[in-house]
Amino acid sequence: MTTLVAADGVTKQFGAFTAVTDVSLSVAPGEIVGLLGSNGAGKTTLLRMLLGLEAATSGHVEVFGEAPADSDRHALGYVPQGLGLSQALSVRQNVEFVTATFSARSVPDLPPALAAVADEPVGRIGLGRQRQLAFHCALLHSPRLLVLDEPTSGVDPLARARLWDTIHAQADAGTGVLVTTHYMQEAEQCDRLVIMSRGRAVARGTVEDITASTRTAVVHAEDWAAAFAALDDAGLPVVLTGRTSRAAGTEPDVVRRVLEEAAVPAEVTEQPATLEETMVLIEQEARAGGHR
Amino acid sequence: MRAMIVKEFRELRRDRRTVAMLVALPLLMLVIFGYAANFTVDELKVAVVGDQAEQAEQQITEQIPADAPATLDLVDVDPDATAADARDQLQDDHVDLAILTGEATETDDGRPTVLIDGSNLFAAQSASVLVAQLGDRVDSEILYNPDLETSWVMVPAIIGLILTFIGTIITSIGLVREREAGTLEQLAVMPLSPTSVVLGKITPYFLLACFDMVLVTLLGVWLFGVPFNGSVLLFAVGAAIFLFAVLGIGVLISTVSQTTGQAVQVALMTMLPQILLSGMIFPLDAMAAGVRWIGYVLPLTWFVELSQGVMLRGAGWDSLWLPVAILAVMATVVFGVAVLRLRRDIAPAKAAR
Repeated sequence: MTTLVAADGVTKQFGAFTAVTDVSLSVAPGEIVGLLGSNGAGKTTLLRMLLGLEAATSGHVEVFGEAPADSDRHALGYVPQGLGLSQALSVRQNVEFVTATFSARSVPDLPPALAAVADEPVGRIGLGRQRQLAFHCALLHSPRLLVLDEPTSGVDPLARARLWDTIHAQADAGTGVLVTTHYMQEAEQCDRLVIMSRGRAVARGTVEDITASTRTAVVHAEDWAAAFAALDDAGLPVVLTGRTSRAAGTEPDVVRRVLEEAAVPAEVTEQPATLEETMVLIEQEARAGGHR
Repeated sequence: MRAMIVKEFRELRRDRRTVAMLVALPLLMLVIFGYAANFTVDELKVAVVGDQAEQAEQQITEQIPADAPATLDLVDVDPDATAADARDQLQDDHVDLAILTGEATETDDGRPTVLIDGSNLFAAQSASVLVAQLGDRVDSEILYNPDLETSWVMVPAIIGLILTFIGTIITSIGLVREREAGTLEQLAVMPLSPTSVVLGKITPYFLLACFDMVLVTLLGVWLFGVPFNGSVLLFAVGAAIFLFAVLGIGVLISTVSQTTGQAVQVALMTMLPQILLSGMIFPLDAMAAGVRWIGYVLPLTWFVELSQGVMLRGAGWDSLWLPVAILAVMATVVFGVAVLRLRRDIAPAKAAR
């Protein structure tokens, strides 16, 4: 299978600050690859290098099999975090500009929600619709590669689900999608994930691959508040979900001992960690590594 | 309130541009504009023609009183030259006044005629005072601006100022707004060459500025009765080149500014010296040599020379090729650098090898 975009050991330095360190990544047609990480993890910088907006300090970037070039851009759809729409122009005028720029021929009709505000300046329509418009503009030339930077931040759950339907439809039609996010629910929609922390790719694979090695100790107790307090006081990475305490990456025996010492009767079992729990652990490990 | 004052100082300390404007600019402005602010032209360039030119030269040297308002620099004394030659010299702005003697004089009684170039307002005023002191011994005529109307001299210069304003401030704001909104980045990943982004972006401003130029020129002529004696083509070509230079400055400013506020700040910093040092208000000849050269590196200086030359003196290509050529060089350099810098922002980044 050909690769649409590939980064090979890419590093980016801004002066003394290294934003991205030795990251490799690739996206194949029909695949949704998620770039996951907290703010400042280097996701946007990596995207900018893949788009040719930023030169890598070292390493190699290829788009459609060659170094980023003007000619790629006909086959590239990009929705930046800021959406990149002209706020003063109407919805229709924005679409007309993009259509003309890409010399796109069979342009899809505006979705109903946008058609209703077609003559409104973009600055006056809601953020959800603005995102929908940015998507519409990024897709109207049928790109082979779709790059989305935090595509659904600030969007309500229903609109988010709709945007993801669009993303899946694109991937099913053979478009490769690279999407950055820090929402776990979104990450779970991706075929593959690359988790970044402090500029490094610290984990990669499917959600199952990434969470497989991490287990969580789950605590059911009558006095759930006391159980949580005891574990928290002991400095364990404990979170409360409903009335259940979960300590990711912690051996059940350790948890049992803490609870026995605190004289809190509880049942402790072990479950696979969720993606979110794994992320927190990965972050902690990366941070510890950084300090070492 | 104290917390507010402390916060404000802390913020100012981070905003280097504003601090520079607050501290360095006043000093710079005082020194530069202090030396530039001088309306009095105390040396006039003179041509003497006609068969009595040499005698006249001697008389001038002897008769001009020591306390005269201006000294005369006899740049050209030519007994063989005619009145027409003298008028050419004035039209070409080589001299501020010309003295016609002997057969070249335009009086019936053989008195010398003094021709004064009225398009150099302050030089002409000095010359008029000098001629008045000579009384009936000479006959005088003020060319190009017989009533020494300030508006006649200012309107051609103001056309340049308006073009500078549009070119620099409006263009830089237009481009920076694109950067602020993040749309410049979006343009960078679209199949648009950097050149088409730049040209597409500035063409509307160029056309609007052209429209404004025609409008203010017509209004200037109609409202203030400013003559348009020269070639419209020469004026149009010169103005178009000048526009490219000021649009280039606008683009350049946009590449060093992140916000509209910064762009306006920098654009104003480039406007002020152009207004004060271009010869539009204070005559270049009256400025201290140390600041005069600043005037010569500003595009507005050369446009003012061109527009006054064409409109008032009816000067042609042969006398105005220099301002046109200098403007062309400036436009090429400024516009070229501006496009290169903008290109760096939006062209695909070359990977490190």
